[in-house]
Amino acid sequence: MSTTTVELPAQRLREQPPARARAARWRRRLVGWAFVAPAVALFLLMGAYTIASGFLLSFAKWNGFTPTWRWVGLGNYADLLYKDPSLAADLRRAAGNTAQVMVATPLLTVAVSLPLAVMLNSVTRLRAVLRSVYFLPYVTSGIAVYYAWRYVLAPDGAINLLLGSLGLGSLRQLQGFLGNPDTALPTLIVVLVWSSVPVATLLYLSGLQAIDRGIIEAAHIDGAGSWHVLRRIIWPLLRPITVAIVLLGVRDALHGFQIFLITTNGGPGGHTDVLGLMAYRLAFMKGLAPSLGHASALGWLLFAGAVLLTLANARLLRRVQ
Amino acid sequence: MTTVGKRVLGLAAALVMGLAACSSGGGGGGGQGQAGQSLRMWTFKKSHADALNKAAAQFKAKTGISVTVEAVTPDDVFVSKVQSAAQTNGLPDVLEVHASGEDFEMGSSGLLQDLAADVTGDWKQRLLPSTRESGVLTQKKIDSVAADSPIKNGKAGQRFSVPFTAGAFGIVYANKDKLRAAGLDPDTPPKSWEEFLKALEATTGKSQGGLSLGLKISQTGFNWIYQPLAFAYLGKERFHALFGKGTTQGFASPDGVKTLETYAKLTPYWMPGTATLGIDEADIAFAQGKSAFDVGGTFTLAFLAQNGLSPDKVLAFPIPPSAEGTHKQISMAPLALTGLGVTATTQNREAAVKWIDWVTSPEGAGMVAKESLDLPSTDLGTQAEALLGKDLAALQKYFTGPPESTYEAADDSFFPSDWDQVKPGDLTVRLTPLKELDPQQAGTELDKVVASMWKSTK
Repeated sequence: MSTTTVELPAQRLREQPPARARAARWRRRLVGWAFVAPAVALFLLMGAYTIASGFLLSFAKWNGFTPTWRWVGLGNYADLLYKDPSLAADLRRAAGNTAQVMVATPLLTVAVSLPLAVMLNSVTRLRAVLRSVYFLPYVTSGIAVYYAWRYVLAPDGAINLLLGSLGLGSLRQLQGFLGNPDTALPTLIVVLVWSSVPVATLLYLSGLQAIDRGIIEAAHIDGAGSWHVLRRIIWPLLRPITVAIVLLGVRDALHGFQIFLITTNGGPGGHTDVLGLMAYRLAFMKGLAPSLGHASALGWLLFAGAVLLTLANARLLRRVQ
Repeated sequence: MTTVGKRVLGLAAALVMGLAACSSGGGGGGGQGQAGQSLRMWTFKKSHADALNKAAAQFKAKTGISVTVEAVTPDDVFVSKVQSAAQTNGLPDVLEVHASGEDFEMGSSGLLQDLAADVTGDWKQRLLPSTRESGVLTQKKIDSVAADSPIKNGKAGQRFSVPFTAGAFGIVYANKDKLRAAGLDPDTPPKSWEEFLKALEATTGKSQGGLSLGLKISQTGFNWIYQPLAFAYLGKERFHALFGKGTTQGFASPDGVKTLETYAKLTPYWMPGTATLGIDEADIAFAQGKSAFDVGGTFTLAFLAQNGLSPDKVLAFPIPPSAEGTHKQISMAPLALTGLGVTATTQNREAAVKWIDWVTSPEGAGMVAKESLDLPSTDLGTQAEALLGKDLAALQKYFTGPPESTYEAADDSFFPSDWDQVKPGDLTVRLTPLKELDPQQAGTELDKVVASMWKSTK
């Protein structure tokens, strides 16, 4: 009777002379490194290098042209926070507007997307179609959509036209919804909510479908109405998803500026200026003034804010779990 | 060194040599401006690129030097592209830049060459007198800028650009059809601010206005309307005093408040939503008949024509002075708006200088002006009307007047060196059309802003 023995690589290595085994091990390591090298090189070039140079730039004055940077230590941070009266005032105003967006957008997103997800979950027919319809704003979101919103919100835009034809002329905004300082920021918050609801709804929908139907049926048998089921069972079970949605919204509000740049450029009269837009303006809209250091410093201040939010996120998630 | 090491080093050296050759900005060149050479040029104006490319064909026929002009728009994208090209040694041979600012900063940063020795004699004399020294760095300019400005690295007397286009801000355009419909004379501009307000009142309907201006770029209201208006109202010295360091005659003073009150009289006549429009959008709204008046610069006429409003349908005049003010007449000193510079990295300096020389000659400038409908810095003399059309040429009559009532938009000698025009722009938008501030409050806030800029000035 013949037996066949299967020689394992490790066994083969053990039986090889030490020098050959070492060489084989190195060859295998080299192959592994060769596979990851392009990604590592790309990260070092596009990630680590740019992050490091951006961080160093926050301690310097530079206009993007001069061959040398002028080191100012923490001067850029001090200018932004208190030292330069002009910049510090801008920062405070932009921070106030950003705070409003950071609070209102995630809360309204939750308030709209949770009931929407519950309704979608209870629909049996056309669920896929409705899901696609609600997801459209996310798919089409971006610069084109913000331009479209500008036309919709203009004095002669669709919303004013609709209000007029419904006999609600008193609600029309003669300067447009973005031209009135009282309505500009709230209007942009509504647009931001409109574009973030689809993802939040999908997250809630996946959460709802993961809930054991037995728990809900048991609650109904015990006499709980739909409201009680939602409040006492579904809401607590969906809390981790809510925390994730809120923190994603807060993070987006902290960094996002495209909508403000395209629709209002921070206007009218600075009423929709936000921190992300201020950083963009310092970097790209100051002509050739040496303000890139200020832009970088503001970027790192925003990064610090984002890190704090991430830590808060981790802590909240631990608590709700 | 191992063989592999030598090969790697050799390959790297070859790559560097290759990159250096590729980044020479154009054709092979011994720098002699000879036939067969090719130049690259960037501009931030699409209309200029089209016109310059047509002129380049004529230039090639004359000299054998080919020029390719590329438009990089809008302005902030242009600056970003120049910044990144400067880092990667990929600049073209010639750049069109904003005059008396951007050219100094780029030149002092080492991106543009000094052309002082080239632009002399006849070349200099054929430029409009008020634009001849544009592009030349002065000691006064060096002293006036902030300590961290790259201009501090420049030397007085260096010329970083040659004036290319000229014009003035604060030009009002009126739709003649709308003036006629309102019972106004379509060929006679208002003589005073008060008459202008009456014309606005006559042409402002319930849902369509009056005056369009791209107040999304908030400084347009302050720069293009308020400043010439306040200058004519107060006279040069009292106008400059508004911006003085530690001034007691600032915007909250009776002088300042009076000018702000005069400016705020525009409030009922703005086109709805003008605060949400960019400069081009406001011009387009005017071209589409959504407003009866539009404010811009001499360069706006070309843009209106591009958007379907024929220049003969438009009446143009400078911001009219108030009848209550110091000066009853105003003229707008033409300033160089853009200039042409030769990049420091070009391998074709002589050909580039030759191209700039030709394109700022009456022949070349005339050809570009005819195509772009933009006023050149070159004095076209009797050819002006034939080349520019009578409407644009007619604007030139507002360029000359008594020195005391001539508003010079290029004069920034009385501003803090850290002058940021967006801040006063935002405040004047809050004054009008937003009505969030009354003139006294706006004056107080403007004084705070100016004081903080003086404080920031290092």
